[in-house]
Amino acid sequence: MNRVAIVGAGITDCRGRWVEATYWDLFQQATRRTLADAQVKAAEVDSVVYGIYNDIFEHQAIPESALTGILGMAEKPGTRVTSGGATGFYAMRTAIMEVASGLSDLVLCVGGEKATDCYDPQSKTATPMVIDTIAKSWDPFFEYPLGATASDSYMQMCMGYDDRYPGDIGDGLVRAKIIEMLCRQGNKNPFGQRRDETVTAEQVLASRWIIAPFLRLLEACMYTEGAAGILFASEKKAREISERTGVPPIWVKGVGAANESYQVGRGGSHKPLHSIVSDRVAAERAYAMAGVRPSDIPLVELHDAFVAQLMVTLGEMGFVPLGKTRKLVDDGVMADIRQLGDAGRPAKGQVLINPSGGLIFGGHFVGGSNMFSMWSARREMLRREIPLALIHGTGAINAVFGGAIVVEFEGGVR
Amino acid sequence: MKQGNILGEVWNLPRGTSEIAGKDPGRYLQFNSHMVTFYQQTYGELSRFFLALREGKLLGARCRKCKQVLVPASTWHCPTCDFVEMEEVDLPHRGVLAATAPITIFPSASFIGEAPFARGYVDVATDARIASFLPSRLRTTTGLPRPGIFVKGVELKLVFEDDRIGAIRDIFWVPMSEVPARLRQKKPLLASALNFKNPPAPKVRKSREAAAALGEALAAMRALAGKVTKSPRAQKDLGGRKHVLGVTTGGGGFTLKIEKGALRVAADLAKKTDFVLVAEDPAVFSRWVADGSLTDAAVEGKLWLPSREAFGVLPILDRLPRSVRRDVK
Repeated sequence: MNRVAIVGAGITDCRGRWVEATYWDLFQQATRRTLADAQVKAAEVDSVVYGIYNDIFEHQAIPESALTGILGMAEKPGTRVTSGGATGFYAMRTAIMEVASGLSDLVLCVGGEKATDCYDPQSKTATPMVIDTIAKSWDPFFEYPLGATASDSYMQMCMGYDDRYPGDIGDGLVRAKIIEMLCRQGNKNPFGQRRDETVTAEQVLASRWIIAPFLRLLEACMYTEGAAGILFASEKKAREISERTGVPPIWVKGVGAANESYQVGRGGSHKPLHSIVSDRVAAERAYAMAGVRPSDIPLVELHDAFVAQLMVTLGEMGFVPLGKTRKLVDDGVMADIRQLGDAGRPAKGQVLINPSGGLIFGGHFVGGSNMFSMWSARREMLRREIPLALIHGTGAINAVFGGAIVVEFEGGVR
Repeated sequence: MKQGNILGEVWNLPRGTSEIAGKDPGRYLQFNSHMVTFYQQTYGELSRFFLALREGKLLGARCRKCKQVLVPASTWHCPTCDFVEMEEVDLPHRGVLAATAPITIFPSASFIGEAPFARGYVDVATDARIASFLPSRLRTTTGLPRPGIFVKGVELKLVFEDDRIGAIRDIFWVPMSEVPARLRQKKPLLASALNFKNPPAPKVRKSREAAAALGEALAAMRALAGKVTKSPRAQKDLGGRKHVLGVTTGGGGFTLKIEKGALRVAADLAKKTDFVLVAEDPAVFSRWVADGSLTDAAVEGKLWLPSREAFGVLPILDRLPRSVRRDVK
């Protein structure tokens, strides 16, 4: 395949609710910033890929149709991608394929979410209706009528993991310490939703249970309204844009994806309950394509729906051993932002994990969350001169969708 | 069986547009709307499974080639053997919980009022080398679902609702150990054969430490009660509610009375109560007053509740310490 580079990125402010903007404007804000970052006019873009998770949240079927003209993408090809929580990842994969195939030289990948206009007249708040809309990700025959929620499904994976590896993710203090570290990182994200919050391990442990014993209120990701864009370019186009902006390109080195079966079970192609196989297979494919090992990668922006799942995912992706993911804290595998500052690189054996604050502190606008992660990874690579980074996405019921992208900064210090 | 309507009266909003303040300065509007469709959703090829449920049978699909069993029968053509047609298999009414089950306390809008409930994956075709698991509701006859009951490997008995419509909620599972020996082989076992009402309260171990802890808890609750009448927020929390909650602990019993916006604490177990809660450690209540949570205690299994109605009172009690802290110096 042809080489593919990232030449621009832009995000909106991450907010619990944007009453000042519809999703039309959020997507336009992200597009404006992405194109300005690359010093590119809309006319120069060959095609666009939209990451939009859910028509019900956007309150319009075919929501991308309303965006075409507003984003300056009229008379260009436009593809909408929707793959649950992994929508952003799959949208980027689609954009990358379009450039890699030679079909387009410059592709805008933009994703976002407007979720909290939903309203539940019973409780007079948004949350139960947002949860119910996401719960419609379950089938209407067997699972939805049982009252399952998205949190339940990720927790079911964590419970299955804990059955097999007791004493790892089950230690609330380890999880609380990770939260404290993610919070400090989120404070440094100028667009982060919870950038002004201070959350200590003690507060995490005192917060209310959502699902015992792996999920307290302060361990969960947010609902965010916002959007993010990534501009992918062919090698020739990337050199040209880089000349213009003075910013070096970030190269796509490996892309891996794997979706597990919806049916949970034993053996065959069934989804096991103790493991997020999709994360493992996706990451292994991305490593193989890039010719790297996890130990080569000092920076990860992963999809952390919940801290316990963050631990399992980092185990599946090979950064810590499965069953001993608590080494993130116990052995200091998770780099401490207080030591790194704004320009430092993690020491050997350490990984900078979710410097954006992740989906728990930074933002989680589902259709664009993985673009948000990519935006952050590129930012950190450039300013810290980090050579390699991994971007991860997960989604769908029981975390059955998985995706991973390895990117490289040639000017990074090895 | 009367099912009621799909949407209740509460699922509605008045037509209109209102002003809404955001993070940025400026005036913004929002309009009330909805996006919903009704369905007459066909069960199609899945109808066989649901028709069988109506008859008190659990059906699976078995591949003649690879012998895998799909529970439920989510397809009748084996996806791993070139979609060869699968055969019907009548499944046993006993199974094993495949992984420890999560307990839902914050349900989505469509399930408000059902919490707490447990759902998990049941391994039914345990003789098959390859099998899918049945997603199911899990119930106990010992009170509300709580940690330690629905753990990986626990043996379960399939129970059928007496009135069945052809839906996954026609069935649920209970721990086999809770099913009387004479009913364990029964197929189908109907819900009416088991006693889910008036679950027996767990026995508590009495101790001198617990008696001392109860003294502290009572003092803390009385101090809280004294402030409740002075706190407008707490008054709003209690509204026009009326409850008499008995509590048994390892240090002795007590009663919480809620009436006319007041909380009263009596150092004995009243004869007439709405329900009786059980906590071996009375410190559960001291922690509640110190801005903790009775809901959390229930979720952790430290506070036993007889019913969903009792669980529904806890969020109101949980608000009181916070309301009082904000209103009363």
